[in-house]
Parts: sequence; structure tokens; C-alpha cells
Amino acid sequence: MKHYEVEILDARTKAKLCFLDKVEPNATIGEIKSMFHKSHPQWYPARQSIRLDSKGKSLKDEEVLQHLPVGTTATFYFRDLGAQISWVTVFLTEYAGPLLLYLLFYFRVPLVYAPKYDFTSSQHWVVHLACVCHSFHYLKRLLETLFVHRFSHGTMPLRNIFKNCTYYWGFAAWMAYYINHPLYTPPVYGEQQIRLALILFLFCQMGNFSIHVALRNLRPPGSKTRKIPYPTKNPFTWVFLLVSCPNYTYELGSWLGFSLMTQCLPVAAFTGVGFIQMTVWARGKHRGYRREFRGYPPLRSPILPFIL
Amino acid sequence: MSSPATGTSKSIQDDAAAAKKRKGPGALATAYLVIYNVVMTAGWLVIAVGLVRAYLARGSYHGLYYSIEKPLKFFQTGALLEILHCAAGIVPSSVVLTGFQVMSRVFLTWAVTHSVREVQSEDSVLLFVSAWTITEIIRYSYYTFSLLNHLPYLIKWARYTLFIVLYPMGVSGELLTIYAALPYVQKTGLYSVTLPNKYNFSFDYYTFLILAMVSYIPLFPQLYFHMLRQRKKVLGHAEDTTKLE
Repeated sequence: MKHYEVEILDARTKAKLCFLDKVEPNATIGEIKSMFHKSHPQWYPARQSIRLDSKGKSLKDEEVLQHLPVGTTATFYFRDLGAQISWVTVFLTEYAGPLLLYLLFYFRVPLVYAPKYDFTSSQHWVVHLACVCHSFHYLKRLLETLFVHRFSHGTMPLRNIFKNCTYYWGFAAWMAYYINHPLYTPPVYGEQQIRLALILFLFCQMGNFSIHVALRNLRPPGSKTRKIPYPTKNPFTWVFLLVSCPNYTYELGSWLGFSLMTQCLPVAAFTGVGFIQMTVWARGKHRGYRREFRGYPPLRSPILPFIL
Repeated sequence: MSSPATGTSKSIQDDAAAAKKRKGPGALATAYLVIYNVVMTAGWLVIAVGLVRAYLARGSYHGLYYSIEKPLKFFQTGALLEILHCAAGIVPSSVVLTGFQVMSRVFLTWAVTHSVREVQSEDSVLLFVSAWTITEIIRYSYYTFSLLNHLPYLIKWARYTLFIVLYPMGVSGELLTIYAALPYVQKTGLYSVTLPNKYNFSFDYYTFLILAMVSYIPLFPQLYFHMLRQRKKVLGHAEDTTKLE
């Protein structure tokens, strides 16, 4: 078996960073990253971008050395992606914040509202319902992060956690402040409005969960494969006939329900901003599907059937 | 499979299309932008002349705002079009950055100076209006000449040098004006919403203005030093014709 030699150069300065000899032909990029990490301990594999061309795309960890267009002395270029943090860590942190922060406002801990309201309870039953719904939503997200999602990327840049947490925690505190405020005004149409909103919210929570499970089942454990999602026996997944990313569609529905339930402008603002972001993501994902799969169902829209 | 002839003609068309995309605005867009920039230059010249004439007529700096209030509002608000220019791609600037800059000007013009009548006679208003006027006359004439590929060095020099004084001058005027507006905003509850209300929302304009003033602290140095760096690049290497990136 002929062994390869691998040299790794800095993509910007072209300086020789590492030379590996006696590399197996069937070695993967992931394994080469581990070997590189040994000689440069500050660059753990997750922050390494290895490419064939100094300005080219990053090679995937699964790529095998002998299948790449390289000679027996392979030259790769390295770029430091910066400090990385795992997706799981980011998700858990950004979701735990809203769950806990909302409760601080719900229980009216001192320093939030006027002292005479400390540890008092709202007189409106919709406020209690809203707390249950909000907490359920983020608890569901935490559990899905731990047990349902199969992430294609292990890590993201470290600065993202500050950006993401500011967004989630900031909005959660902002809406929780008003919903649990002693001067909160319940919805104009009372019980009717709250009931309709709750049905919408629960329906979309179940829908969102169904989609997450369906997407998980597309991907064998530990793999990063991508397949076209199709409707399953679960009626909540039938929306795949019309939409590429129904998880976002259901998420929008959930927050519309919560906005209606609380009749609170900050909630509506959060719903709006989230909708814009999810639409950007959905269109990207939709484009990716269309590019990767020849026979991609033409009837599907990214996030809203026939509209967006 | 396409024949070699159609193959090459298609690739020539692709190259031409790609080159056109890289070069920026087409002929029609360039004509429009020239007209836009000429109109804006003229507008701010009107404001400059208005200020000088009013000063000569009255003999004092006091209350000159009233003599140029309408053209100031018109032409400063008109600058909102520049956001559309970026969005349409005919100007190579970032929509977010341009949006931020224009909105902060529009905010000061309408939400502070126009809305709080009591600050209109303050000298700080004259301070920022003068700074804006000189800056904009130079900026819009710079763009006009650039689009016509005939940029006099004097204009380039002015744009990248006068900001050194005009920028702090403008910022001081703006901050002093906002500060002057504070007591009136607090007293009247201008643009503020209190609880309880059916949308369960509140907004305190007084606090918002204070936060706006505080935001100048991180923002102003960044923008100022960015301009200083640009100055070095543009004026320092005046002989170089190649771009650095």
C-alpha cells in the first residue's frame, strides 16, 4: 500500500505549517485534521478549514485522501475559523435563558416592578396560561436539542452565542415584562380570543414537533446525509406537499397564536422579526434542495404555501 | 451538446454580462444618479445661501433655523432615496450602513428639531445645520464629479479633510440639541406611551433620547477613525491607480 505525504500550508501566507508523512490513502480529512491538531494544539479540528485551493471551499471531514484530486504528495491550505462552540451548547444556552427569565417576571421578583407587587400573582388567568405556553415552548426546544435534532455541523463561531443569546434573552425579557405587568390588559375579545389562540398555538407546537421528528428520521444516527423530506403517515407532515420548511411555518403559527393570546405588541414584534429571519433561512434551504436534487417537487414554496 | 460556435458566443455573452454587473450602474442609472446628486448639491447650496443671507439681514446668529427650515426638511428627507439606491444596487454601499446614517439625520431633523419647538432657537441647531450643509455640498458634488469621471483633486481633498473639523462640529451640535430637548420631552410626555393600554406596550421617549445620546460614545469614534483611515488611503497614495484590495 502506497502511503501519501501531506503538507499543510497557511491559506494566506502560504507558510508551511505541517508536514505529515506515511499517511494512509484511505485517511479522511477528519483524521488529517486530528493529526494537524497534534502539531498545533491551539487549532482543534473544529476550527480548521482545510481546502485544496487557498481560496476554495472547505473540504468535508468525510472526504477520503485517495479520492481527492491530489498526487501522492498532497498540498492542502489551512484557514483558522476562529474559536468554535458546539451547536448543542449554543441552543441549550439560548433556550434556557428565555425559560428562566420569563419565570422571573411571572413570579414578579423584586426590582422588576414596584415593591408593592413583589411576589404577587396576576389576577388574569390568561397570564398564567401564557406562562405555561411560553415555558412549554422553550422546554420543548431544549428537549428537542438534546434528543431529537441531528446536527450536520458540530460547531459554529463563538461570537454567535453572544449574538443569539442577546436576541432570545432580550426579547423574552421584553415580552415577559409586559405580560406579567400589574397593569396588563387582557385580550379585547376575551375568552373567545384566548381559546382560538391556544388552539392555534397547540396545533402548531404539535406540527413543529412532528416535522422535527420527520427530519430526524431522514438521517441515520451519526450521519450528515441530506434527503428530500416527504409527507409521512402523520397528518402534520402533509404540509410537506406545499412547503420546504414547514418547521418554520409551524413556528410562525405558534408565535401568531401566542401574540393573539397575550395581545402584546412586543410579542408581535418578536413574531415579525422571527418570521423575517426564518424566511431568509427557508429560502436558502429551498434553494439548496433545488440545487442538490434533480426531481425536487416543483409545487413547494420555501415557507408559506404559494406565497413565499 | 452545443456546437463550438454557439459555445463561444454564449461564453462571450456571459463575460459581457458579468463585466457589466461588476462595473456598477448602467447608462440610465448613471444619468439618474448624476441628476440626483446635482439636485442635492443645489439644494444644500440653497440652504447655505439662505443661512448667509439671513445672517446678513439680521446681523445675528440667533434663530437662523427658521430661514432654512423648509429646504432643510425637504433635502435631508430626500436623502432617504439613497437607501433605495443601495438596495437597487446602483450604488455600491451597504443598505444597512446608509440606512443608519440617513435615518439618524432624518431623526434629528423631524423627531427632535421639528417636534420640540423650544429647541429651534438654540445655537446648537445652527452648529449642526452648518456642519451638515458644508459636508453635504462637498459630498454630493464629489459624487457628481465621480460619476462623470472628472473628479477635481480639490473636491476629493475637501471631502476627506474637512470632516476632521465638521464631524465633531456636527456631533456637538446634535448632542447639545438633543440635550436641550430633554426637559420639554419629559414635561409633555412627547411620543411616549404609558401603561395600561390594550396593546400592552410602553415607550418612554425621554429615556430613548438619553440612550440615543449614549450611543454616540461607541459610534462616533469608530466612524471618525474609519474616515481617517480612508483619508490616508485616498489622499496618501494619490499617485497610485491600483486599488489595494
